[in-house]
Amino acid sequence: MAPTGGDAAYVGKRTLRVEDPRLLTGTGTYVDDIVRPGMLHACFVRSPMARARVLGIDVSEALQLDGVHAVFVASDLNPGVHEQWYTLNGRDNPDTPRPPLAEDEVRFVGDPVAMVVATDRYIAEDAAELVVVDYEPLPPVVDYATALDSAESVHADRPDNLVGRLGGRPMADLDPVFERAPHVVSQTLYQQSHGPVPMETRGIVAEYAAAGGEMTIWAATQSPHEVRSFCARLLGIAEHRVRVVMRDTGGGFGQKVLPQREDMCVMLAAARLPAALKWIEDRQEHLLAAGQARHEHGEARMALDDDGGILAATLDHVQDAGAYPTPSPVQSGIAVGMLFPGPYRIPEGTFSSRFVFSNTSGRVAYRGPWQYESMARETLLDTAARQLGLDPVELRRRNMLSREELPTANFNGMPYDHISPRETFEQALTMLDYEAFRREQVRAREQGRYLGVGTCTYVEPTAGATPFHATEGATIRIEPSGKVNVYVAGGSCGNSLETTVVQLTADSLGVAIEDVSTVQGDTAVTPYGAGTGGSRSGPMTAGAIAGTAGELRERIRAIAAHRLEVPVEEVEFVRGRAWAKGRPGEAGLTLAEIADIAYYQVHALPPGVPAGLEASGRYHTPHLMIWANATHVCTCEVDVVTGEVKLLRYIVSEDCGPMINPSVVEGQIFGGTVQGIGGALYEHLAYDDDGNPISTTFMDYLLPTATEVPVIEVGHVETPSPGPGGYKGVGEGGAIGSAPAVVNAVADALAPLGVRISRLPLTPSSVVGFVEEARTRQAVTL
Amino acid sequence: MKPAPFTYHAPVDADEAVGLLAELGDEAKAIAGGQSLVPMLALRLASFGHLVDLRRLDELRGIERRGDDTVWIGAGTTQATVQRSDEARAAVPLLARATPFIGHFQIRSRGTVGGSLAHADSAAEYPAVALTLDAELEALSPRGRRTIPAARFLTGMWSTELADDELLTGVNFPVWKGRCGFAIEEFARRSGDFAIAGATVALRMDGDGHLDRCAIGLFGLGPTAVRARDTEAALLGSDPLEADAEEIGRSATEGLGSVPSDLHGSAPYRTRVGAAMVARAWRRAVQEALHG
Repeated sequence: MAPTGGDAAYVGKRTLRVEDPRLLTGTGTYVDDIVRPGMLHACFVRSPMARARVLGIDVSEALQLDGVHAVFVASDLNPGVHEQWYTLNGRDNPDTPRPPLAEDEVRFVGDPVAMVVATDRYIAEDAAELVVVDYEPLPPVVDYATALDSAESVHADRPDNLVGRLGGRPMADLDPVFERAPHVVSQTLYQQSHGPVPMETRGIVAEYAAAGGEMTIWAATQSPHEVRSFCARLLGIAEHRVRVVMRDTGGGFGQKVLPQREDMCVMLAAARLPAALKWIEDRQEHLLAAGQARHEHGEARMALDDDGGILAATLDHVQDAGAYPTPSPVQSGIAVGMLFPGPYRIPEGTFSSRFVFSNTSGRVAYRGPWQYESMARETLLDTAARQLGLDPVELRRRNMLSREELPTANFNGMPYDHISPRETFEQALTMLDYEAFRREQVRAREQGRYLGVGTCTYVEPTAGATPFHATEGATIRIEPSGKVNVYVAGGSCGNSLETTVVQLTADSLGVAIEDVSTVQGDTAVTPYGAGTGGSRSGPMTAGAIAGTAGELRERIRAIAAHRLEVPVEEVEFVRGRAWAKGRPGEAGLTLAEIADIAYYQVHALPPGVPAGLEASGRYHTPHLMIWANATHVCTCEVDVVTGEVKLLRYIVSEDCGPMINPSVVEGQIFGGTVQGIGGALYEHLAYDDDGNPISTTFMDYLLPTATEVPVIEVGHVETPSPGPGGYKGVGEGGAIGSAPAVVNAVADALAPLGVRISRLPLTPSSVVGFVEEARTRQAVTL
Repeated sequence: MKPAPFTYHAPVDADEAVGLLAELGDEAKAIAGGQSLVPMLALRLASFGHLVDLRRLDELRGIERRGDDTVWIGAGTTQATVQRSDEARAAVPLLARATPFIGHFQIRSRGTVGGSLAHADSAAEYPAVALTLDAELEALSPRGRRTIPAARFLTGMWSTELADDELLTGVNFPVWKGRCGFAIEEFARRSGDFAIAGATVALRMDGDGHLDRCAIGLFGLGPTAVRARDTEAALLGSDPLEADAEEIGRSATEGLGSVPSDLHGSAPYRTRVGAAMVARAWRRAVQEALHG
């Protein structure tokens, strides 16, 4: 399905983003920009306690306040739930309870217990302060790591606090290998809770027209069709009576793939209200209740031979699911174990993953939700190298897969192909000049300065063919004027889906890019589709557009051939103009003239060609998944007095196949990488021992800013995938490879001091703690 | 994150402002740049029935040399104005050098000198600078004007000597002359964050190269900025080149009570960082005194 647009394709070029004029002039349309006649505003009353019994709720004083329309509690809204499940996970997923409002018990600080509806958000917040909830405190299960042994239960019907478990062959199977191996390395690394924190918080406007039984929803979402299906099931109304609209969504990072409990409340309440209801989450609510991710630890083990060849590897992994995880942590969490072997030749191994309830904010999807596989493996490899006295790059060279060994499968049966881990690894090291850095590091150490370098190489499944994600549709309508509109499901949340769709369509049809517009994010007019998620948009929309555009292109050429009185094979159609081969100078036909025939001179159409120039198609991927890969390399300097980590250089070499738009690809890599840097060094959605969140503003939940992040240098290796255009997904990878590379760089810098890193994030105070711990350990050893 | 209801007042001069503060009592709060107060109101961590906005009080703005020994800075002068001021840079170098550490430029464009001092955050830079330089603060109330030495101004976390009906109108910074050196060092998680710990050093050498004036300020290490007076006293009269900067850092941070402890660092960690900041600031101040 190579581009067919003539000699100068748009695909592959740094086409300027079509979203930018409106976004850069402040004229984007986010959900908070939606204003409806008589619109009401919601504010939630949230639990101040990690766990408590709700003995009573008094809303009388709140209702007295001028401008308050209603105060809903669980008994008002929860009985309205018909069905509650996500298309993403399938019906009857047993692992996650999800009441709209808390009923008898609150289960984390931020748990919504009541919803105030008022004429504006100010009044709603004033009234929320007047709602009196009588709580009887219960002992919370704060620490997921000990939750399985806790006498207390987050959900009474799940007394052991276990959401679910998954794993490969029994760990004991590997005992003989580990017992015989010349070298065994093992470590346990705890990763802190992250928040996805998109720049735009969650938000929804729901308006119900009772007369027609129609619900219209404007949402900050990555998947308008999921929101529609979910709402229809929730309220028990027909799916085609629900319309979901999104234009600009200011970041999602996985958190916005699914509607959550607050969205359910707004949908349920809107069905009972005379006007539209808006809820815009504020940042404090967001950090309290929008969800957490990456909160996990694992004991990783590796057996190696005397040459550093890996004999086996295992991972015993536990992840925090919080009180109300969304989506199923078990379904999406299995990838941690499945991908743990990464891009290495590891003959055998296994894993175990357990997902555990706690009285904290629920686990959500977050850009590369399985990132811990890379964190566990790549930090273990560096530890192994130090233990064996090998350079970590040398250890990886001895074990890393190269193109010549493909296709292959890892010990969990994941089938790798069309990847280039070794090539990205070498390219990134060359970009750094690894040997020169090692020399610089030696010189710096002589001056008492601690420099370090870390790498992370990973493979990543993109565009996975789960039932919801396996197809994608496109409708292309060439208007009578010859202008083109392409309709896809959308769900763009900053990932430039409009730009790439326009590029792909212009090339596939063979028209000028200025003549193509795209309509996305409105379930009433676009084809059904799963939206942004799973690094699927590039390959899947490319497939949908190629098929649909190909069909239209055939019709265009047939009409032109008929009018030009030449065989179809002799028609050239480039950049919106058709002519007979070998006669480019002669007056051919413009697309507008062809469209005029298709719509208004139907009698002049060739036999068998339908009137109009509109087509819809649906791409069904035959590939279980499309593999992408990358290597991140980072260098840093650590101040051992303050514990400050300063990143010096940051390099990414990635292979996402041919790039539809290099600027878009690099934007995805930059954004993901910065999130990983944040995860390694800054971000921490922390709770105290009583379950009180202690990072509820951006003064405490620290995101990396432009001053903390070095220039990110990007190198590309191009291995086409077997999918449409050879494209691969690239949305999540940056956020997978970055944190392990940073952690390895810090560990490398501090290696001369004997530092062992066991907990993240690497804040200045924790770095000082590790340095002190190493000094104490060595003093004891001496 | 919407504030509770309040009544907004915009007096035209300082007398009207303090009249309003006196009339409305502790239900009222003066607001200048609002860079600390507005987030606290929005988070409903604080709530006032009345806000008295100082934005129309032109008399509170300006940077003036007053005589040979003093620079007056109006309380309503923005931090950005201080940062751009040649007068401030030349006559009160420590103040000028401290300014870029305050938040981000957007914050400094609205945040004021008086606001920072009156808010009295323990991790803020200006209170430490005022304390280090022995500045004097001017206050106005319906009872008249008075001057408060910086050493008496800070009374606790977010609390000052100012009465509810008293308004900070300006600060007199003494101009240190002779072979002086000034330095500020602070450590924060990210550029623009509140300091985990910070230190200010101001010193002056006599003709023989001995210290005849020496001030060490610490911030972020207790309920208020403090001076390390015992360490200063021990250093007076000594040759700064013979002093051990690390030892000065340790000594200056010894015996601090109630060092804060939070997500960003324990009390011992902050103390350690504070000592390092003192040592670094000391070295730079000495270098400046020696070499200009």
